[in-house]
Amino acid sequence: MNVSIPNILDQIIASIPLFKPELALIIGFIVCIFMALFIERRWKNSTFIGCVVTLAFSLYYLIDQLSTTGTGFSGMWLVDPLSTYARLVIICSTLIIAIFLQQRHSKNNGDVYSILLAATLGMHVLSSTSNWLMAFIGIEMVSIASYILVGYFSQNKVQSEATMKYVLFGSVCAAVMLYGLSLVYGLTGNLDFQSAAHLQGLMDAPEAIVTLALLFVFTGIGFKLSFVPFHVWSPDVYQGAPTAITAFLSTIPKVGAIVLFARLYQSWSSTAFYFSELSTWFIIVVAVVTMLIGNLAALRQQDVKRMMAYSSIGHTGLLLMVVFAYQDAFSYLLFYVVAYVIMNLATFIFIDQIEQETGSTSLLSYAGLGKKMPLLFTAFTLVAVSLIGIPPTVGFVAKLLVFTSTFSIFQSSGDTGPLLLLIVGALTAVISLFFYFKIPLYAFLRNSDQPITDKKQVSVLLIIAYILTVLVILLGIFPNWLMEKVS
Amino acid sequence: MGLLSILIFLPLVATLLILALPSSAKATYKYVALGFTFLQFGLSLYLYGNFDATLGGIQQLDAYQFVEQLAWIRMDLGAIGKLEIDYLIGVDGISLPLIVLSTLVMLMGVGASWNIDKSPKGYFALLMILNTAVMGIFSALDFFLFYVFYEIMLLPLYFLIGIWGGERREYAAIKFFIYTLLGSVLMLLVIVGLYFSVINPATGAHTFNMLHMMNPANYVDGSFFAYIANYHEVFGIPARLIGFIVLFFAFAIKVPIVPLHTWLPDAHVEAPTPVSIILAGILLKIGGYGIIRVCYSIFPDIAADTNWWLALIGVISILYGALNALAQKDLKRMIAYSSVSHMGFVLLGIASLTAEGVSGAIFQMVSHGFLSAALFFLVGVLYDRVHDRYIYNFRGLASLTPKYTAYVAIAFFASLGLPGFSAFIGEAFVIIGAFNAESMATGVPRWMAIGGSIGILLSAAYFLWTLQRMFFGQTRLKGGLAWQEALTDLNTREQVILFPALALALLLGIMPSLIFSNLNASVIQLIDLIKPYL
Repeated sequence: MNVSIPNILDQIIASIPLFKPELALIIGFIVCIFMALFIERRWKNSTFIGCVVTLAFSLYYLIDQLSTTGTGFSGMWLVDPLSTYARLVIICSTLIIAIFLQQRHSKNNGDVYSILLAATLGMHVLSSTSNWLMAFIGIEMVSIASYILVGYFSQNKVQSEATMKYVLFGSVCAAVMLYGLSLVYGLTGNLDFQSAAHLQGLMDAPEAIVTLALLFVFTGIGFKLSFVPFHVWSPDVYQGAPTAITAFLSTIPKVGAIVLFARLYQSWSSTAFYFSELSTWFIIVVAVVTMLIGNLAALRQQDVKRMMAYSSIGHTGLLLMVVFAYQDAFSYLLFYVVAYVIMNLATFIFIDQIEQETGSTSLLSYAGLGKKMPLLFTAFTLVAVSLIGIPPTVGFVAKLLVFTSTFSIFQSSGDTGPLLLLIVGALTAVISLFFYFKIPLYAFLRNSDQPITDKKQVSVLLIIAYILTVLVILLGIFPNWLMEKVS
Repeated sequence: MGLLSILIFLPLVATLLILALPSSAKATYKYVALGFTFLQFGLSLYLYGNFDATLGGIQQLDAYQFVEQLAWIRMDLGAIGKLEIDYLIGVDGISLPLIVLSTLVMLMGVGASWNIDKSPKGYFALLMILNTAVMGIFSALDFFLFYVFYEIMLLPLYFLIGIWGGERREYAAIKFFIYTLLGSVLMLLVIVGLYFSVINPATGAHTFNMLHMMNPANYVDGSFFAYIANYHEVFGIPARLIGFIVLFFAFAIKVPIVPLHTWLPDAHVEAPTPVSIILAGILLKIGGYGIIRVCYSIFPDIAADTNWWLALIGVISILYGALNALAQKDLKRMIAYSSVSHMGFVLLGIASLTAEGVSGAIFQMVSHGFLSAALFFLVGVLYDRVHDRYIYNFRGLASLTPKYTAYVAIAFFASLGLPGFSAFIGEAFVIIGAFNAESMATGVPRWMAIGGSIGILLSAAYFLWTLQRMFFGQTRLKGGLAWQEALTDLNTREQVILFPALALALLLGIMPSLIFSNLNASVIQLIDLIKPYL
């Protein structure tokens, strides 16, 4: 290809409008580094404000992009409603995480905001590309930022251990994925997984190599999504990391990864060839196993954060079901993602609030707390109900939409795979009742003699959590409000 | 907002009011709850009085009364099509008697909660949410709406049993929850399947409307639950049969049938008295109602094929429940098992597919509703006083508490099917229906009717034997003098709660037409719906 440099430059300049939200993030990232270095000492919280302003700018440009569809940077950058909405979710939840960090870790926190922005940028990349190179850069950006975030506030051995585990596991997965990508590139000569040449290359390739390449690629995504068998890091890391970071890990990285995976699966499963069949069976088997292991392992947990780690593994199984059912309408995919993010953020804020008051994340320490903090535990229970998927909550509508779309695939194909997904999805909801309901069980049904005085202070975080809880109910009764916006 | 909506959401207003009141106004919660339930009861009686008994309902929306329809959720799901969920409520002859029953039992439940002093705010708020859910279940005509109310019902019950229950309350609460949730998540899958199989003829969109699901013409050709030329099979079993079984399973847990009944004795024994009253009086009826409204009306073809099995399950429940009741030493457990037995009649009546049988089944639900409520209340009276309900710990109560004994005797005689009381009418009609079924060729053999009659005999045995063991003979109490002093006779509040229930049992026993006249058209409509498939 002989393209003249002015042409390339023209194209890059023409693509910049599509890249504005990310440009804002990049500039904010650099500014935040300097603010943390020079200004933070004199003017406390300046970096936090810088971070919030950056996110606001990014949000503003994103809203500007709502009706835009297009590609830029020679097809590397892809902007469509799915990516825009996903980025909106990412920015909004990052904002909440930023507030979370500011409230809980007010000392020595300058650099954490710039890292948070870097992670957000990585997520943006993941959700708006169909190019392997970009995807890998995105995954690595998110991963490296997450490693730092997990270790940033570490004070004891457990937390350092969690960080080390995370880094080691993450690097190995990234390496394996890169190897898989190189195989895929070698087979197809094209890095864009939606292009015809890419699919053609996969069709022609020998089955053994394709199997290897695909499984390797899925490893990297599997690590970010923490589906089985790449989930082993998440319970330790979730438990070891500060709650604010755990809230971040359990929500935002998954949004980007799931969008990427949905795009990938949509294009790879579209043919009648071996690699499509392999992807389909892979996703079905992994979804089933992930749902089962996540929910069954959660039954035995005595620590809330660890339990939530397994719960989020279980939800990953359902997210895979969403990916499986993703065809061209992205509305239920987004709905599930939004529901998941709202529920998880609220849960972790509650967990953190309780941790602040009792100093423990053990379920046993929740005994009898329902009477002392009735509002908090009522809200917590409602969110737990939503996590199980019982109406009238957003979790139920999200689950219903997933089942609906999976059933439509089952009805048109008649395969046992989707049916299996449906049945396991339904049954794991019953299993999940056991562990989610440990929270109200301990809080309301058990009594404790421990004197705990509720501090009764109104915190910004708690107000956010209550707003999220109200959203859980409102969106459960009127899902239209969200769906109309999205579609 | 129509009357029916007001009926449903009135308790929710009560909940908000109770939550808004400061805890210094603790004593007023029960009055708020009582006032609102009383209002509800009056409203339901008004609806009953203004009900046009000539209209059938079942699968025709025009024949439903007090109908309200609002577009609720409309979602465009791209390739899958449009999601169409309505807020659609209405009543016919099958749901209205149960609504009136529910409001009455709820009133009894609030009355029985008068002495609750453990966090009354939460208690009455949950009770009122439960009330809303129950009303919603009986009025919903959209399957989505029905499911939402059905699940909402579980949450307050879990806490009511779990917080205010007896010793093993945690176990009982979670067991109850798991059983019901297991049934309902599978039900959700069938609902989704039905949604894809049915289109609304007016808009061409898929719909959750139950009435559209009852009309074979609305099924998409080749869809999963398609009617005619249905070639969908899963592992060699026709899809419609699977759908029916799953739905039946969900409701059968509620009824409950043997062998899915094991949650019931635990839940009853551990639940506080008012919750037992509501469980037995209302929630078991949701099972029977669901079988009629959902299983039989949406799957009439399968209903006609399987009614032999359903009737068999009914007979087994009658006999097994009765034999178990005979063996119980805990009074509350005995009454819980008698519920299993009496609800077996409901299943037998419905499965007989005769007009007498189905009417008898609904009548039996209503009659069992307030009779079991009265029975559990009577147990509660005893338990309140001495915190014991072990049958062998009491003897000769008649001389100690004559009024109480009289009420117990009347309630026992009414429950065992003595002519002149409502249970007799219900059980007799069920047995007549089951007996006639053979000549109507619905597939239920005569020996099942005989099995049902044996059940009545057994119920006489356990009720009378209990009466004899506890109330007659010389007064001998396990707790000695302390108990003798504690065992005061019924007070006015207790009599006010019990009297209407027992009076109603007598009234309906003498004038069953009070109920039959309103449900007849609907029952005939239901039979007509199923008849072509027999």
